[in-house]
Amino acid sequence: MQHQDYNRQLLHRRLNTIAVFIAVTFGVLVVRLWQLQVLQGAYYALRAENNRVRTIQLVAPRGTISDRHNMPLVENRSAFNILLYRESASDMEATSRFLVQKLGVKESDLAARLRRGRSIGLYRPVVIKEDVGIDDISVVEAFGREHAELQLGPEPRRFYRYGKLAAHVLGYVGEVSEEELSRESFSGTKPGDLVGKSGVERTYNSTLTGIDGTRQVLADSIGREVGFLEEIDAVVGGELQLTLDLGLQMTAEKLLENKVGAIVAMDPRNGEILAMASAPAFDPNNFSTRISEQEWNELVEDPNRPLQNRSIQNSYPPGSTFKLIVALAGLEQGQIRDDTRIFCRGSAAFYGRPFLCWFRKGHGFMELENAIQRSCNVYFYEIGRRLGISKIAEYGQLVGLGDGTGIDLPGEREGLMPTPEWKQLVRKTKWFAGETISVSIGQGAVSVTPLQLARAVGALATNGRLPQPHVFLRSNGAGPIPAVRQIRMLPISEEFSRKIREGMWASVNNFGTGHRAAVAGLDVCGKTGTVQVIGNEKKREAQKDPEIWEDHSWFVGFANKDDPEIVLAVFLEHGGKGGAAAAPLAQEMFRAYFSAKARREGKPWPNDQISEARR
Amino acid sequence: MRLDRRALLSFDWLWFLALLGLATAGLFAIWSATEGTGLDSYLGRQVLYLGAALVLFFLLLYFDYHLYTDYISFLYAAGLSALVLVLFVGKAVHSSKSWIPVGAFSFQPSELVKVLALIALAKYYSESERDHLDLQELMTGGLICLVPMALVVLQGDLGTAMTFVPIFVVLSFMGGLRRRHVLVALLVIAIASPLGWVMLKDYQRGRIQTVFNPANDPLHLGYQTIQSKIAIGSGRMLGKGFKQGSQSQLGFLPARQTDFVFAVLSEEKGFVGSTAALSLFLFVFFRLLKTAREAKDRVGAMLVTGVLSLLLFHVVINVGMVVGLLPIAGIPLPFVSAGGSSLISSFAAMSLCMNVRMRRYVN
Repeated sequence: MQHQDYNRQLLHRRLNTIAVFIAVTFGVLVVRLWQLQVLQGAYYALRAENNRVRTIQLVAPRGTISDRHNMPLVENRSAFNILLYRESASDMEATSRFLVQKLGVKESDLAARLRRGRSIGLYRPVVIKEDVGIDDISVVEAFGREHAELQLGPEPRRFYRYGKLAAHVLGYVGEVSEEELSRESFSGTKPGDLVGKSGVERTYNSTLTGIDGTRQVLADSIGREVGFLEEIDAVVGGELQLTLDLGLQMTAEKLLENKVGAIVAMDPRNGEILAMASAPAFDPNNFSTRISEQEWNELVEDPNRPLQNRSIQNSYPPGSTFKLIVALAGLEQGQIRDDTRIFCRGSAAFYGRPFLCWFRKGHGFMELENAIQRSCNVYFYEIGRRLGISKIAEYGQLVGLGDGTGIDLPGEREGLMPTPEWKQLVRKTKWFAGETISVSIGQGAVSVTPLQLARAVGALATNGRLPQPHVFLRSNGAGPIPAVRQIRMLPISEEFSRKIREGMWASVNNFGTGHRAAVAGLDVCGKTGTVQVIGNEKKREAQKDPEIWEDHSWFVGFANKDDPEIVLAVFLEHGGKGGAAAAPLAQEMFRAYFSAKARREGKPWPNDQISEARR
Repeated sequence: MRLDRRALLSFDWLWFLALLGLATAGLFAIWSATEGTGLDSYLGRQVLYLGAALVLFFLLLYFDYHLYTDYISFLYAAGLSALVLVLFVGKAVHSSKSWIPVGAFSFQPSELVKVLALIALAKYYSESERDHLDLQELMTGGLICLVPMALVVLQGDLGTAMTFVPIFVVLSFMGGLRRRHVLVALLVIAIASPLGWVMLKDYQRGRIQTVFNPANDPLHLGYQTIQSKIAIGSGRMLGKGFKQGSQSQLGFLPARQTDFVFAVLSEEKGFVGSTAALSLFLFVFFRLLKTAREAKDRVGAMLVTGVLSLLLFHVVINVGMVVGLLPIAGIPLPFVSAGGSSLISSFAAMSLCMNVRMRRYVN
């Protein structure tokens, strides 16, 4: 039998040796556990209590934003928040007292922040005060031993180098809201993170947002740092370069000083926004720290609505600038030719109602070119009548009026290109033929944003190029890169658009309504617009309050006539006559643009002396 | 008949329940240590592995253990091939390239080869006719362990490689050692160890030095030992309670679901819990000793002793490391630590021993 083959006794002896070995080693282990857990248990319990990993958030700076010539527009400055590590606060009352007395924290504010902090877990700090000044910093530093539960947490803040400049385009940042957190476009953000709230800060938030880092340190039970575990560096967000031209933007902002209105300058060839100003504006620096309720209310309740980007977020009747579209429709539809003559005697009757020309004495016989040049109402009433509202609307929509342009800025308004169908649907009434006559000169229900109008005029300037306007030029960062910009080619005849351009040229350069936009040495083409806010009779009654009754003032135009590279829309709310109020601003814009261009190219700009002399 | 009635009746339920108890304690410790940390997939996987391990346990019981010892040369060769393979296609985890990816899981052949080498050595020594091994037998036995050990060293997994040493030492002891062989071996070790010290990598040297003076560099090498001791010690007599251990919950404990799982258990269950776990191990060891004593034949006794040596080494090294008595080595606590390869090979080894126990009677 196999089991007898070996010496069982010897085996048992050897196994006994092993048993003794096992007993001894286990004895050692149990004694060791007794030593650690029972004899020294109190000591280790204290050490465990003192053992706290403190994770310090290293907030990643957002990417910088610069203009098309790499001039910095938005940067970051270093700033500190006061953080409270609640698990280290042994005496919360003493801490509160200290915060209120030495650091000027309001008791109610402190209570609110602590209440909000309950949801974030005990081992994460609560922000007690943001973006503190040097005084608070030194207090926290000086009391570092007594109040180790209070720490300074670095958080870079947005710095808008030029304050209000291009505020509506750049936008501002703010703490992410509950509602935004649940949205996919803000995936990866945590409560308390700063995110873009408007402008490109919002559109390109994911490009601009960096990746936060962390530093883990060991802290003892009262919160003092006793060791360093690891650090993961923050990754700065992607840099953004905009199509804006800082110099031109500055000019636009300066021209709008103490006014209410908007100036948009775009390259009609590709849709790049060169300048986009809206007045009044706000200073986004005020938002880079948590904005106070009072400041916010002031901004929101200001009747001039400084937060609104008038270039895209509000729409207005286009006034006489719309005559360009009516002219295009008339030519394309064969209702007129450039030599079609219409007699203006200062007014005309349609459907039993008189419609006035702004020039009461009458323009006499008008052809297309001088009708545009002198902005004759009667001429365009007649074309409008011949076309009918549907055809007018068709061409308005063709050049992008009453519809979003797709610009890469949030909150764009669509405006309105009215049709009988629209009126039936929305206002539940029939379209009156008389309304068509009003729309023919850009009054009535038709309403456009300055950007839409600039783009439409750009299409006339370029024989039908209708680009998607944008402020994004390039970025070095991650995040979504905007889809390829499409440029639509409109089916409009080169001959007809040239005819309209002739009229626009004459308006500026041949003693037309737009003559104040003329710049020596340039072939500026343009069209003025004056929008009646209230009827003529009421206007007389309301003389006392010009803020309300004064006309809106428009100028749209481009330069140069044969090689357009900039198209402008100038809009002044209650600014008065387009030719008097808006056209001179356009003149300054064209001058600024072309003189800067000449300087960059090292060419002389002879007009400088001329314009100096003129002043 | 492969399993007769008598064998079935000899199934040792207490032993088996002790193993299940250890595995369950492990599951709870893993659960506590990983919840809400992004490591939470560990628990689910461990349950899966436990299921697989139990299936294998009973599957292996079905066949007489002589089947395994008879074919061990093939199995051993296959194991070595797997170790060679891992050198080429292996996946590195923590600087050791010892894993073969299998679908979503990874498999560590070295865990299995430990058991295969043990069977091979048990089989070889049991064929010796005398009460003491001669030099040639010792050399051959050494080679059986040394070849896989060298391959594991090449993977960079020194901790696992070390496990071949106790298998060789204990089985040789069981086979019968002559005094002069022991003296020569001790002499060789005395001469070779300074050389070995030089050959160790810096981090390995550091780990050994740290045992003697953990406070020396508390945030690097000694850090793990200190945090582990704080975890265990702060558990005190009754422990802090399930999921209440601040050391493990706050992430102070390194590798808390794997190598330091005993510290999690000790922190949350206290001295009562930690000694209870050790008692379960102790119970298993004495069951193994009993099985070796009553084994039907020499190869059975050798097998069980081999498994005993392997298991004992793991438990002592792991717990010794966690309580700060031994250097930190990447050695898991069998049945308790998270990890499929370790759990499955541990249960397979136990199955072999149960096999010997169930078939201890002469038919």
